[in-house]
Amino acid sequence: MNGLMTPQLIRISEIYDDGEAARHFTFEPVSGTRHSARPGQFFTLAIPGHGEAAFTYLSLPDAQGRFKALIRRVGALTSALFECGHGDLIGFRGPFGNSWPLEQLLGKRVLIIAGGIGLPPLAAVTDRLSTDGNTPVGLIYGCRSPAEQVLKHERSAWHASMPILETFDRPSNKGQLTGTPLDHTQQMSAKLGGSPEAILSCGPEVMMNAAARHFIKNNLPPEKIWLALERRMHCGVGECGHCYLGSSTVCTDGPIYSWQQLIRLQSQTTA
Amino acid sequence: MRAFLLESLEQLRDHLAAQRPLFTPQFAADSSEPSWLPLSHNTPSVAIEQPLLPAYPAKQFFFPEREILFRFDGTDFKETLPKPAPQILFGVRSCDLCAIAYQDQFFQQDPYYQARRKATLLVGIDCQLPCEGGFCPTVDAGPFVRDGMADLVCHQQGDHWLLITQTSEGEALLEGLDLKAAAEEGITQRRSQEPQVAAQFPSATHIERGIQRINQSQVPAELWQTMGLQCLSCSGCTSLCPTCSCFTSYDRPVDDGFERERCWDSCLYDAFQREASGHNPSAAAGQRVERFWFHKFSDEYIKTFGRYGCTGCGRCEKTCPGVIGVHSVMKRISATP
Amino acid sequence: MDADRDNISRIIHTICPFCGVGCGIGLRVEQEKITGVEPLTSHPVSQGKLCAKGWSTAYAVDPIDRITTPLIKENGSFRPASWDEAYQLITEAFSTAITEQGADAVGVIACARATNEDCYAAQKFARAALGTNNIDHCARICHSPSVAGLRQTLGSGAMTNSIDDIEKADLIVIFGCDPTENHSVLGGRIIRAKMAGARLLVVDPRLTRLARMADLHLQLQLGTNIALINGLLQIIFANGWEAAEFLNERCENEAALRAKVAGYPPKRVTAITGVPEEKLIAAARMYAKADRALLTYGMGITQYTTGTNNVISISNLALVAGQIGREGTGINPLRGQNNVQGACDMGALPNVFPGYQEVAQQTSRDKFADHWQKKLPENKGLTSLGMTKGALSGEVRCMLIMGEDPVVTDPDQHHVQRALEALDLLVVIELVMTETAAMADLILPAAAFSEKAGTFTNCERRVQLIQPAIAAPGEAKPDWQILGELASRLGYHGMDWPNAEAIFNEITALSPLYQGMSYLKLAENYGLQWPCNEQAPNGTPLLHRQQFSRGKGRLIPVSHADPAEMPDEAYPLFFTTTRLHYHYGCGSMTRKSPLLERETPSGVLFINPADAQALAIKPQTKVRISSRRGEVETRAVITDEVPPGTVAMPYHFKEAPSNRLTNTAQDPVTKMPELKACAVRVTNLEEASQ
Repeated sequence: MNGLMTPQLIRISEIYDDGEAARHFTFEPVSGTRHSARPGQFFTLAIPGHGEAAFTYLSLPDAQGRFKALIRRVGALTSALFECGHGDLIGFRGPFGNSWPLEQLLGKRVLIIAGGIGLPPLAAVTDRLSTDGNTPVGLIYGCRSPAEQVLKHERSAWHASMPILETFDRPSNKGQLTGTPLDHTQQMSAKLGGSPEAILSCGPEVMMNAAARHFIKNNLPPEKIWLALERRMHCGVGECGHCYLGSSTVCTDGPIYSWQQLIRLQSQTTA
Repeated sequence: MRAFLLESLEQLRDHLAAQRPLFTPQFAADSSEPSWLPLSHNTPSVAIEQPLLPAYPAKQFFFPEREILFRFDGTDFKETLPKPAPQILFGVRSCDLCAIAYQDQFFQQDPYYQARRKATLLVGIDCQLPCEGGFCPTVDAGPFVRDGMADLVCHQQGDHWLLITQTSEGEALLEGLDLKAAAEEGITQRRSQEPQVAAQFPSATHIERGIQRINQSQVPAELWQTMGLQCLSCSGCTSLCPTCSCFTSYDRPVDDGFERERCWDSCLYDAFQREASGHNPSAAAGQRVERFWFHKFSDEYIKTFGRYGCTGCGRCEKTCPGVIGVHSVMKRISATP
Repeated sequence: MDADRDNISRIIHTICPFCGVGCGIGLRVEQEKITGVEPLTSHPVSQGKLCAKGWSTAYAVDPIDRITTPLIKENGSFRPASWDEAYQLITEAFSTAITEQGADAVGVIACARATNEDCYAAQKFARAALGTNNIDHCARICHSPSVAGLRQTLGSGAMTNSIDDIEKADLIVIFGCDPTENHSVLGGRIIRAKMAGARLLVVDPRLTRLARMADLHLQLQLGTNIALINGLLQIIFANGWEAAEFLNERCENEAALRAKVAGYPPKRVTAITGVPEEKLIAAARMYAKADRALLTYGMGITQYTTGTNNVISISNLALVAGQIGREGTGINPLRGQNNVQGACDMGALPNVFPGYQEVAQQTSRDKFADHWQKKLPENKGLTSLGMTKGALSGEVRCMLIMGEDPVVTDPDQHHVQRALEALDLLVVIELVMTETAAMADLILPAAAFSEKAGTFTNCERRVQLIQPAIAAPGEAKPDWQILGELASRLGYHGMDWPNAEAIFNEITALSPLYQGMSYLKLAENYGLQWPCNEQAPNGTPLLHRQQFSRGKGRLIPVSHADPAEMPDEAYPLFFTTTRLHYHYGCGSMTRKSPLLERETPSGVLFINPADAQALAIKPQTKVRISSRRGEVETRAVITDEVPPGTVAMPYHFKEAPSNRLTNTAQDPVTKMPELKACAVRVTNLEEASQ
């Protein structure tokens, strides 16, 4: 059994393209050792000769241990991953990090705000909340253009059980919403039957910060706003130092932080 | 804890070296540069004239600059944990011992670190004189060895040495040495002597005031930027800092596949936090310089480690080409209104 | 960690293999591998400091990727071969070319990274074993104008002062270089001097780190150094700020210089250089009136078609202000490679023997012919660029390149590649498979600096010993040994040295500069600065103290001339090449470090925010840079470090070779190519897709 730093083999069992240079991967265990994970956690993939990088669970491991990720081609490792095909074996470590605070969300009006490629880290929690039956949940998904959107299949599945608003900086036809997600919160509150009692957000930091400030202004307590941060996560176990955020390490203390925590961490240094 | 009388340090050192490989600070290659080197069985016993502060702290014995984590042999990943033979580090000064204790905690769950660490016994030495640039008393890291930080501690008292055992493993090493137990007053005397040695250190009010300002977020961002301009991203401070632990890893091709090597990294490097997309949360050199000192002096870390990340060894000041080592930085921070 | 570790774990004190600063390093050896580096606090130059490159030395010599046997190319790929077979092939090809076309049909490129002993062997091999003066090395493309210019004005083409003098100056002038990037430890000494109260005057088209710290920054247009210096001289003379006594006693040709610079009043100089008049006046006053002003310069002076004249005008400035010949002053060219000073000292140049003794002089030829027991060629040899041109014309048929990578580092890459392809035989002595080695017919495996004894000479003329830390991998051996064995095959037996020290003793016997040195004395003194002889047994930290090497300092009037290629409608931007802190030369050593490699992946284009905006370029946008010679694609970094109208590229990266763009137009004196300025067009490759 390999320890902390050594990956175990997993098999790529399914691949399909989705959005701008993004691709769905389904992975399955090789040795029969399955793992479980919570929504919001992440894992690493290793391709021998190309190193290792962190990715979020798009769907959590099922009974057979299969799980999914949406991966965008941005660097050397993801380029190598895009060269891989069905049945290829690669390395896996995980799960790492904390998760969305499910116990604090169930039964509350939850607004999920996603921007561009920030949707996948919210997918597993959206799955969970939208099928809870007791939790009014809505999603506002903002993108620069329709081409930037990801998770077509997932979004159409969620449509059946929850309200979704999709908005664009540059829509491609007249029927589409324009503007940032914050331009449409009123409309979403109406659909949810009241102002949201909790915010979950992932996307560009500028968008997340704007969303947090907006709801703070509307009297939502900072501990009810959660953001998923991106940092260069490397080891996953809080050792290598790359993902520092003030005195915390995103790979162990995050990637999910409440606005309250973030304000504190950001005040520690001047930058 | 027991205390014995020791005639000479060499007597203990040579006794220990006969049992296990022993590393101790020595002048390398006939120079005046102290380095961690093995005590050779082949050369006659060298007299120890003073405790030396080697160029490097002891961290590379447990967290080597480059280390293989696992191999990929073409079909599977195989963990490559080190299988170190027992060894002794002899003559470790208190600042470096405090740093070892700090890293013991930091790398608590790291099997590579722990394998090497568990194979190593530490013989500490009390410093009786301030060293150039050192300020261990200011950060509670010396000049005398703290309790529980070494297996054995040596303390000079006049023409003889007090040998204090701090662990049973340390005491077991003494078997075969015919030592007289030390009188209780020797130990009391050691305790009372530390403040006197500490008092000989030059004033470090700039360090104290600097720590305060960092923790009260009173350092202007412009000052960090000015000092950032002086950071040449050489990685010298992080290489020599006894508590720095950042690493990166990369795949090296070997005959039948790849091996993953981890190697020391530096948070002062421009691309330390740069993401694959090109986005960099710490793109400005001033931010990175601030981060380094925050990590060394923030009260936040005391919660976890029981002490600051700085142990007052002063190595960063000596090796920084840009004049932003600990004294230079803290003087400027403490001088701001 | 094994029981026998204590016998094999050690620290070997040697000299850093990177730049010309020559820092001391301890190589940590564990289980016969170099695992790390220790700084040396007692080393007089580095004083316990190192730069990012120095700290990563263990990666640079990592056995990974090393060539370990001779390799012969067959049907486009390399196969291992025996030394015998390799030597046989070389001997046949070189002999055939020499027999059919004369000895000048072959040539040797020595290496500024190799030891003095290797370079000495290379030039002796060319001159005595092959019979040609076709011997050169990459000083051609860094400081050949310094050697040529300063020899005319002072009589000696090296740093006049010592690195220690930086902290003795009250004004430090930094001309066309950024020592904090390329000579970081020396750059750090400048920062230290600044912190201690010295003033900084930076003359550079780029807003460099030191420019940001400077008291005054003259941000001149690319290629206007002479106009600027003539302008400063005009102001100095017009205000009577010149060092009159010094000029009278120690210089000559003042009247001619005065007449020339009178034609450069501030108004005209501002128009040419873009530097405001008040800054020109402030700079002239600062320099002329300083007690001790130390001037240092780099490639921003030399890599121009006016390179030699640029150096001459630097010299004019220092002489007129009397800022030379004293501690804390002087003219201090920063040498690029660890041993580029030594490679020049050794006569790895077509026109001089070791110690700058002229090939053209009968007496020097006789001296060396006598000592080497061989009749020596009188013909003027070809420069490195002359050899590549000769290869294209058929004039040169075989070349031996020792550890240099001209395919990446020389101007106009396509031209270099065509030239090397045209050779009958290209032999490369190398550590790893560089771009140039890949083009070779035959590669011979060399020992790295950590695997051999020898000496490096740093930029302050300090000759320092290096020590072998581990054995060379496989069959690799020191260059001098390879050359000696090859010479024997060619029938010349004057190079059968038993060890590096024997070569050094031959050098001291023949070169007056090194005459008083020996390995023992070098070891005792952390090296010695030349000249070292009976008059100066402990070396010479300060040159030209009483008089200049040539007697009187010569003032030589020079005129401004535009770079050979100026921006125009088709190629509207100025293009310049730079170096990065993290990399060294072609990157064959530094790019083996995962850390340094991460810092700047595969090349970048630096562009000013104004130019970027005009082209809709964002950070990381993919761009194409085209010049009349070729094009390169890379990614943009937007920075105010380059002025509007000028873009810059580091030259280290084979993936984005800036030398596909650069101009081969040359300095008429030294054949230095104009690497610092040409005209380009930048195209945004992502604009279309947006």
